[in-house]
Amino acid sequence: MLIKIINALLAVLAGVGGAVVLFWVLNKAADVFPMKARERVRPYLFILPAFLAIGLYLIYPAVQTVVFSFANARSTAFVGVANYRELLASSAFQSTLLNTLLWIVAVPVATIVVGLLVATLADRLRPRGEKLSKTLIFLPMAISAVGAGTIWRFVYASNPPGRPQIGLLNAGVVGLGGDPVAWLQMSDGKLNSFLLMAILLWVQAGFAMVLLSAAIKGVPVDTLEAARIDGAGERAVFFRIVVPQIRGTVITVFITVLIGVMKTFDIVYVMTNGNFDTNIIAVDFYNQLFTNGNTGYAAAIVVMLMVAIIPIMIYQVRQFRAQEAQR
Amino acid sequence: MKFTRAAKAAVAAGIVCLGTTACLADSGTETGDGGGGGGGGGNTNTTDSIEIMYGFTGPGSDKFQAALADFAESEGIDIEFASTPDFNSLINTRVQGNDLPDIAIFPQPGIMASIASTGKLADLSEVLDMDDLEQNVVTGALAAGAVEGTQYAVPLMINVKSIVFHPKQAWETAGYEAPQTLDELTALTTEIAATGTTPWCLGLESGAATGWPATDWIENLLLAQQGAETYNSWVRHEIPFNDPVVDQAAATMEELLLTDGHVNGGRAAIAASNFGTAANPMFDETPGCLMYRQGNFVAEAGGFPEDVVAELDERVGIFPMPGTSPQDKPVLGGGDLAALFSADNEAAQKVLAFITAEGFGAEWAQQTGFISPRKDFDLSNYPNELTAQIAQIAYDSTAFVFDGSDQMPGAVGSGSFWREMTAWVSGGQDREETLANIEASWPAS
Repeated sequence: MLIKIINALLAVLAGVGGAVVLFWVLNKAADVFPMKARERVRPYLFILPAFLAIGLYLIYPAVQTVVFSFANARSTAFVGVANYRELLASSAFQSTLLNTLLWIVAVPVATIVVGLLVATLADRLRPRGEKLSKTLIFLPMAISAVGAGTIWRFVYASNPPGRPQIGLLNAGVVGLGGDPVAWLQMSDGKLNSFLLMAILLWVQAGFAMVLLSAAIKGVPVDTLEAARIDGAGERAVFFRIVVPQIRGTVITVFITVLIGVMKTFDIVYVMTNGNFDTNIIAVDFYNQLFTNGNTGYAAAIVVMLMVAIIPIMIYQVRQFRAQEAQR
Repeated sequence: MKFTRAAKAAVAAGIVCLGTTACLADSGTETGDGGGGGGGGGNTNTTDSIEIMYGFTGPGSDKFQAALADFAESEGIDIEFASTPDFNSLINTRVQGNDLPDIAIFPQPGIMASIASTGKLADLSEVLDMDDLEQNVVTGALAAGAVEGTQYAVPLMINVKSIVFHPKQAWETAGYEAPQTLDELTALTTEIAATGTTPWCLGLESGAATGWPATDWIENLLLAQQGAETYNSWVRHEIPFNDPVVDQAAATMEELLLTDGHVNGGRAAIAASNFGTAANPMFDETPGCLMYRQGNFVAEAGGFPEDVVAELDERVGIFPMPGTSPQDKPVLGGGDLAALFSADNEAAQKVLAFITAEGFGAEWAQQTGFISPRKDFDLSNYPNELTAQIAQIAYDSTAFVFDGSDQMPGAVGSGSFWREMTAWVSGGQDREETLANIEASWPAS
């Protein structure tokens, strides 16, 4: 145990020390250039290690993934676009894409709506009530997705008729005289997918609420008062005065949740593992790579996910720049 | 201005791509880096510190470690136990990264075979006493560790999946008798259903592995109807997955289990019930079902209700899944197979020999959870009569075949087979489509 602690300390020391030495050497290296070029070269030398690290750990694997997506299952020969063609042609993958799309549309919107609702309503409570209600909504944030899945299993659990129902929903249904429903198998109207989304919503709503609540509190009171004096009702004040002023935060939250949703894996993996027509892209990727050992399909799925995320990233960067420009 | 920025970006992107353009894996490098004997890479030095990696956790892991403790101490071997519930993913990752354990105990022969094909596993015929093993280990269990004639793995323990459990009292009161043939089993099912009790318990839910109990059913029926030879050629994909004989097995399964009133709760409940607790209604005051075909491992804590586990011999009866005739006793099973990565590591060789030799696991068996693959294992070591009966079923088998889904490629055996069976049983698709989908998912090799 002691050895491990000492090792960890040594590693930290060596890491920090190594970085200091590296930059000292780079700084010295800049001095070999002629006086005039020196100051122009120096920043590039300083940024070089970070650049190399990004290249090695981010860009290289990304390019490698793209290359693998055009190769066969064991990455031994190129197969052209066969992986993409086969994936897009299979009905299972189409359903996976549809589910993912539903997640992408439904969860961020629902998160914003719930977050805004709670933030606005809590804002009107007395301080103690506000703190309590916000804490309760925020609490699930501290629970991992797998933990959340375990908790929600008990909500959706279903036993054969006549057996004691330990599931919250089914306890209600049976209590009202109905037959227990196997919730996670109800793929009609994608009900089971929406039930899984509810879990992520439960986890994420707190995050949205905190940011949005801060934004709402930042809305200048005089704008609200001015609107009220002009005769605006509470609804008009909210939608025409508050919402436009917190638009930036709303978009930030929306995009953060959106990117989170695109990468969602654990909830579906623990709850159904993609069975009963609930598969989503990240679970499919995992199963292709680790269960099926098909690197080609897995890489192709990731590339498609990457391509889908890029426009969102660009939009977010633009939005961020526009906001910065306003300040 | 715009143009130049775009141009710069394009050039930068071009440079990045060129600089990092990756080549595909050279199929030759996998087996490269020399290494003596069968084991390339890994820990080929003969230190007395070895690592054993395996897929069982909790009490099983503790008992395994306890079973090795004395031996390791007397031999002066320092054993590092790497227990993981996610064995299959992890072993693949470690093999890809060439970070190999010395001994790995594979829960599924399919993964073992695919790793053996990379050349990283040692040929055990040079390490172990094969004559002894061939004579004493249940034949089919040993065969599961061989790939194209080379013995890469040896069973450490087995489980038996051709067992039908039933509640003893209710069974005796009603005067049912163990069926001797498959036809008698079908007749018995209809007879019980006619009394208004659902004859079968069934549950497929098993977390991320949901669906596997249904694959066991198909395998059991195919084995019983067609015999070990056809079964094995189906497992090796020498006949198509959706061959008419498989369809016949699936049809029998439909008749036995998916007929209305044959399983409590019907089709939706099957996929939602956990395989471990699906049989609990069997032990109610008025049993909710009367038969449960499953592996021996459900007759332990965590499976059957606690009060039943406490008096297994009094409350639980069993019969083996029947064959086509009373003399026909095929048994479907499974097991954990021990394989050696470090061919030249003497300590690892000693440990492997010890865990596969006569008498290993006596104490483990006494504490439940262990069935020896060796026919010379003393039956009195088993903690109860029921376990001894189960072991005897395996030892008496006319053919012991390994769980088929465990041997199929991962894409089928732990992928489409589970998934499609779940979809079929829960009523999402029909038999024909199910079998065709699985056949289509078989990886081209």
